[in-house]
Parts: sequence; C-alpha cells; structure tokens
Amino acid sequence: MILDVLRSIRTSSSSSTTTTTGGRIILQSFGFYSVSTSKMRDIKVKSDSRELITSSDEEEEAAAQIIESVSIREKEISSSSLSVKSTPEIEKKYVHRVYDAIAPHFSSTRFAKWPKVAAFLESLPCGSVILDAGCGNGKYLGLNPSCFFIGCDISHPLIKICSDKGQEVLVADAVNLPYREEFGDAAISIAVLHHLSTENRRKKAIEELVRVVKPGGFVLITVWAAEQEDTSLLTKWTPLSAKYVEEWVGPGSPMNSPHVRNNPFFSLESIPETEVSTKEQKAENSPFIGLESIPESEEGTREQKGESIIPETKASIVEQKDENCVEESLEALKKSQQEYFVPWHLPYHRAEVSGASASALASGLAKKDDRKGAVVYNRYYHVFSEGELERLASGVGNAMIVDRFYDKSNWCIVLQKAAFNQD
Amino acid sequence: MRLIVHNMLSCNIRGVANKFPLRIEPKKIIVKEVDFNPDFLKHMIAKIDWKALVDGARSMGYTELPDHAPDTTTLESDESFLRKFHHSLLELHLEEGSLVCSETGRKFPVNKGIPNMLLHEDEV
Repeated sequence: MILDVLRSIRTSSSSSTTTTTGGRIILQSFGFYSVSTSKMRDIKVKSDSRELITSSDEEEEAAAQIIESVSIREKEISSSSLSVKSTPEIEKKYVHRVYDAIAPHFSSTRFAKWPKVAAFLESLPCGSVILDAGCGNGKYLGLNPSCFFIGCDISHPLIKICSDKGQEVLVADAVNLPYREEFGDAAISIAVLHHLSTENRRKKAIEELVRVVKPGGFVLITVWAAEQEDTSLLTKWTPLSAKYVEEWVGPGSPMNSPHVRNNPFFSLESIPETEVSTKEQKAENSPFIGLESIPESEEGTREQKGESIIPETKASIVEQKDENCVEESLEALKKSQQEYFVPWHLPYHRAEVSGASASALASGLAKKDDRKGAVVYNRYYHVFSEGELERLASGVGNAMIVDRFYDKSNWCIVLQKAAFNQD
Repeated sequence: MRLIVHNMLSCNIRGVANKFPLRIEPKKIIVKEVDFNPDFLKHMIAKIDWKALVDGARSMGYTELPDHAPDTTTLESDESFLRKFHHSLLELHLEEGSLVCSETGRKFPVNKGIPNMLLHEDEV
C-alpha cells in the first residue's frame, strides 16, 4: 500500500516538523487512499451460525424471576434524566461492548461492497468531502478515489482497523457528531441506525447527517428491514419481549397503537413492574426472556417462537375458543416485532486474541457454545418496518427525500439537504 | 489527524457556544507526502475556515501560510500559494496530542493519529 511505504520512509524522521529529503512518491490519481482489497482473505460470508431459541413455561417463570432480581439491583437514575444524546444501557452492553469485542473478526467478514452504496459514492462529484458516520471497519472509506473521506465510529477497535489502512478517521457518536455544520459534500450511514434503541435517537442521528452536509448535499441511509428476504433468519434471532417493547418504544410504534393496546390478547401482566422510573432503565431491566435460561435446540417451530414472543398471553390464549382470532393476533404481533438480539458467533481462537471475551463471559454478556467452538454475543437491533425510515426522515425539516428503495433486506433512503437555509 | 479534519471538528459539549475551532496541543507530528491536486484544493478553499487553518498549522510548526487566502481569480495562477495550502491541509499529521476546547478547556485526546471526540455522561 502506498501509504505504508510513505510511513516507512518517514519513520526515521517522525518527530520532525518539516520535510527535507526527496524521495517523493507520486501517487496514482488522487492518491489519498490506496484501499487495497488484496489483503482481504477471500472468505465466504457465512450467515451467522444460527441457533433456534425456544421457550417453555418453566423458563418463562425463571426468566421473570431473573428480570425481577435484575431490576432490584439497578440503581436509580435522577429524573433530570437522560438526553437523547446519552447512550442507553442496552446500547452500551449490546452494541458498543459487542463490537469492541468482535472488531477484528467482524471486520474480516465485512469486505463486500454493496453495489447500491458504491453507486451512490461513485455518483458524487470529484473532490467531494464524504462523511461516513458509523463507518465500522472503513469498508467504504476511499471507495471513490477522487473524493476525500472522513469516517467516524463509536468503536475504537473498529476505528483502529480503519486507521491502520491509512484512512482519516476519529472516534465519535453518530447521535452527536463533533462536526461543524455544512462542511461535508455528502454523508452516508450504512447499517447504523438500527443499533439505536429509541425513535428519538434514530431521528437525531438523521438530523445530524443532514446538519453536517452542505445545502444541496446528499445523504444515503441504509438500515436492516423487519421484512427480511430470508425469513428463516428471523427464527435465529431473539425477539425482545412484548413487555420490553411496551416500556421501551416511544409513540408511533405499532406496538403502542390503540388497536394493539385494546386487544385482550396483548394484555401484559406476568412480568413485574420495576421501581425505577426512566424508560432507559426499564429497558435494562426487562430484557428478552432470560437469555441464560433458554436452551438451544437444533430444531424449532414457528409456533413455538410465536409463544415466546407473548408468553404472558398464553393463559388467555388457552381459554380462548376462537382459534382463528388467536392466530391472527399472533401473526399481527409477529409482524410488528422489531426489537431483536441478533447473535454473533466469535470463534474461540478469535476470542482469545481479543481478550474482551473473558470479562464478557464472566458478566453474562456472552456465553459459550462448545458445539460451535464460539463465544456467542448478542447485538441489539431495531429493524425498520416499511415506510418507517421515510417517516422518520420526513420529520427532518430542511431535507427532502429524493430516493427510496428496498435492497437485500435493507430499507434505504437518499435525502437532499435544502439548498437554502430555512431556519 | 490532518488539518482538513481539524477544520471541521468542533466541541459538542452541551451548552458550549464557542465550539470551533479547537486549539491544537501537539506532542508528535508526522509529515506524509500526498499527490498535489489543485482542483481539490480549489474546491476546499470555499469550505475552509482560513484562520483556523493558519492557527492550526502554526501550532504544528508550519508558518508559511498567508493570513488571508487569495481571492479566487488569482488562485488559478498562484501555484506557490496552492502548494502551501496543500502541505498544511493534507500533509501535516497530528499523531499524538490534544484538541482543546477554548471555552471549557476540555481536552480531546489524539492518539496514533485518531482523535477521540466521545463525551462523558455529564457533558451530553
């Protein structure tokens, strides 16, 4: 890589401030980045090894007890409370810590450039400054060699991977970008917003993307869709309990619609209320049905999974004689399910190198799967339903939706910032 | 971290009015040569906060930049200026040091060329 060569020439005079020697290397074209894919191993992108997680009555009771004991341990947070820019616990544990622990392994599986993103980047004018918020392993940084890319991510291990490739990056939070307005010519947010656990945070992240680009600038956003092309994938994910969704998701969620709330099948009563008042605290206290207690099984059925989503209503379902009505309600609930933990299998030999896994296992953040020889982490996702990304983006005042599409199980949108300041 | 990035970075602590620019306290600076591209530089002139660039370059030990950028008509022919602009914008790297908020004094560390702009809980 060209920049590696430059580095080796410079190492001997690394503390000097001016250059005196010759040996100038002429780079091809624009030459900011020589992102070389030759180093990447040709790995088949395996889907995460899938486990079906099922639940039974005993486990639900055990889970309820676990949730109760967890809630009692939690400290109270003052009611002056968390701004939209504060990171909720669920993201700290099930997004940030996970990516930090899996970064090199994760990066090794993320090398295929998505054609739609590549096309967007290649369509931008020469010399554009492109901001990638949530750049991960820097897959897209430098994709268009005529442009200047600046990437940021909240994960320092991932940013280190980018930096080692010679890319211009920093550690920052997509919900609160440390950038002054209008510097960028364009911005991208590829598979990021679905890791934000509240609607307000997701909206804020979109506002930030629009804020940091120039008037007339474009923003591309992609997120995982609730409507997955491969529906068998959904059976490998852990849906978060209906109780969790009720306490966690803000207004506008299908789960909070009168239709759902007034329906007796959705009565939620078996998981006890916590004493802590804030929403974010409750999300911490009312997770998925006790992950540790759920046995893994090779085979499972959709019907079993349906029960695991709304265990509380099992009693009322049994009493109900109208089976068609029950099935409809279950289907409706399954369709509106948008909160998930998606597993990541970190092979043991990778986990040892990372070092983070020992503490993750000790604290219950991850668990071992000896059969697969991997440490299993869970990543939090809010997958987007059809129209949700558009609805969120149309709430941003000074930007217009100029393109929208569904591609490879992702909802995608292109925004254009208003050409004149409308404040 | 190059000065092109520094020219965009601002302090996002809640309530701070004077967010930009951040003052550079360097500990280690590296120079890496990059291909000269006048078209890109002309595109950047419109975006750059000139004073922040001049002050940033000075704090990194480079004092050749004029106090004001020439106007766009003379820019075409002023290669000497473009070379200085090129060098300061793209070839000076802050490897180790801090970016300091003028209003609060908060230091954002830069290690191995990577600024860490994450805020603490109470700053958000």
